Amino acid sequence: MNKLAAKYLRPSQIPTKACHGCGIGMIENWLLQAIDELGLKQDEVIFGTGIGCVGRQTFATWGGDNFGATHGRAIAVATGLKVAQPDKKYLIVVGDGDAAAIGTSHLIHAARRNLGVTVICEDNMGYESTGGQFSPTTPAGYVTNSSPYGMVEPSFDPCDIVKAAGATFVAETTATQWHQTVKIVKKALQNDGFSFVHVRFPCNENFGAYALGTRDTLKNLEWIWEHTQGRTVDGKETDFTWETGIKHDASNSRPEFSKILRDMNERVRAQMAEKGPGDGKH
Amino acid sequence: MAIIQTGVSEKLVAPWAEWAERYREGRRLLEAGTYALTEGAIAAGCRVFAGYPITPATDIAEYMSKRLPQVGGYYMQAEDELAGMHMCAGASLGGLKAMTATSGPGFTLMHDAYGWAITNEIPLVVVDAMRVGPISGITGAPGQGEFYVARYCTHGGNIETIVLSPNSVQESFWLTIDAFNLAERFRTVVTILTDQVISDMFEDLFLPRDYAELADIVVPRRHNLTMPFYPLNSDAIDVPPNIVGKGTGVCVSAYTHTEEGYDIEEMEAQWAQTYRLVNKIRHHREEILRYEAVGLEDAEVIAVAYGAASRTVKTGVLEARRRGVKAGFLRLISLWPFADELFERDARYLVCELNYDGQLVREVMRAAPDKRKVHFMGKSAELHTVAEVAAALEGVARRDRIPELPYIWTEVR
Repeated sequence: MNKLAAKYLRPSQIPTKACHGCGIGMIENWLLQAIDELGLKQDEVIFGTGIGCVGRQTFATWGGDNFGATHGRAIAVATGLKVAQPDKKYLIVVGDGDAAAIGTSHLIHAARRNLGVTVICEDNMGYESTGGQFSPTTPAGYVTNSSPYGMVEPSFDPCDIVKAAGATFVAETTATQWHQTVKIVKKALQNDGFSFVHVRFPCNENFGAYALGTRDTLKNLEWIWEHTQGRTVDGKETDFTWETGIKHDASNSRPEFSKILRDMNERVRAQMAEKGPGDGKH
Repeated sequence: MAIIQTGVSEKLVAPWAEWAERYREGRRLLEAGTYALTEGAIAAGCRVFAGYPITPATDIAEYMSKRLPQVGGYYMQAEDELAGMHMCAGASLGGLKAMTATSGPGFTLMHDAYGWAITNEIPLVVVDAMRVGPISGITGAPGQGEFYVARYCTHGGNIETIVLSPNSVQESFWLTIDAFNLAERFRTVVTILTDQVISDMFEDLFLPRDYAELADIVVPRRHNLTMPFYPLNSDAIDVPPNIVGKGTGVCVSAYTHTEEGYDIEEMEAQWAQTYRLVNKIRHHREEILRYEAVGLEDAEVIAVAYGAASRTVKTGVLEARRRGVKAGFLRLISLWPFADELFERDARYLVCELNYDGQLVREVMRAAPDKRKVHFMGKSAELHTVAEVAAALEGVARRDRIPELPYIWTEVR
């Protein structure tokens, strides 16, 4: 176990059950690096997850308090928790199914409310724990186990959605961009509001094997890297390009959701102290 | 209609039979069931409400949005009922008592959160103000279609559930406090099945002048700060709930868990968890049983009902007794776990409920010594009339059958 893992994770839950070459463990290590560089302690961060590869591999690995919600609902649970425990940092680590499909409505409304949590969407571009079906972030045209003739639906970019909904920090990165990811996660955690970080990572067993035709980790990482650059390693143009980096930074520009509620309570109670509670009638 | 009640024994088995005596001095209001329910929650220490407006439960959300900030609580309007109940579960995990309220169409969306809260032993109160269905049905008409849905409120089996049902505005107040107490003591979700009539109607409501006076009847929120977070193979109640945010290292998830809360895929762990979820309730049924009974000692035919339907049914029983029928009345307040022990007598039963398919009646048929003596009187979207109930009781008592009555279904398949 490395130094960061020893400092922050639970020895009994490491290594995770992730497949060979999975990017989830590597990204989690980068999250720990960001947490460590910010000087955060175990009991200052609540670690929330969902269902699927990302949920199952990361749940209970964090040494502090953990919750693994039902599929897609981690952000809804975090909304209630944040109101009850407003002083904590929330790291909500979910997959593309949780964030961009089954739980999209909670993502959108948490962004609208500017809920003070950091959502890390670790995106392996499909439903890989169920054997490799396409998701809303699978690139159009690619073959998966439920799109044997190529995915016919267009995909969408969850960053666009949360930005439009009012998120105060939005960034996109990939498992091929270590330093950029750590820098982004640090900024995300420093925003007292809704932060969204989209991180693409390779799945060798399913997406790699069926969409890209290889279970080779390096080849899969290379494919992701090429699409962040718009060029293949042999200089050809890629079929599409992912823009990575910070896409929107309005950190700490508007009040956080639980604070809005607390401030309202104070206003109401000050009015009551002045005028009395009334007769209890509505 | 004047009813002569001489010689009829009346019994209320519920904690508030005594509470109502103790807190007789207070404010007298003319208020709706939704108002009483909201005040009951506030009095019980509820500090979070998250839900989605739906008729006939909307007024609870509106009252909560006004009352919670006054007592330092939080009202959240969720994007859907599914989010609402998950938010409540999150808030309760964070140490605040929480409640949500809905009607059938929203109740159906909560099954996901129900399972999560029950398996993680998170205390919560959920109100379902039933209206006639299926689906949207008629928003302003009462129904009793969620008797089984409330019992089987999530998938996967391996659970017991606590479900309570009030039949008056005053009772809505006390029963809500009671529901919060049971949720804390049993570390589970308690469902209040009310209905459109009891929610919307206005009646006399006596409220204690100061809720601080209720300190000795309200079970306060406590926090479990040490292992085991999930006492496996144990039926113990009064175990303090877990809390997230105090650095205990607790793990909460949707998976079968170890006593630390780690996900595990071993049969022994599954059995140990199921033992607890089922038996913490089954082995303490006497702590949950609540009912009202009239004239059971000499009754040859016993009318059974709950919620709004029980109001006209009770009057119908008294009317039948006036006509010389040895009729009794049994109102279930705790619907689940089902009170099998109340149906041990080999009498005739007339089960009156607000649906045509027959739900409560099936449980009575199962629990009664002779299911052929269990009769069904289903109405849909409106209450039974006193005349209908009295006629049916006479028919069952004298000819062992319900006379033909319009808009009443008697067949159970």
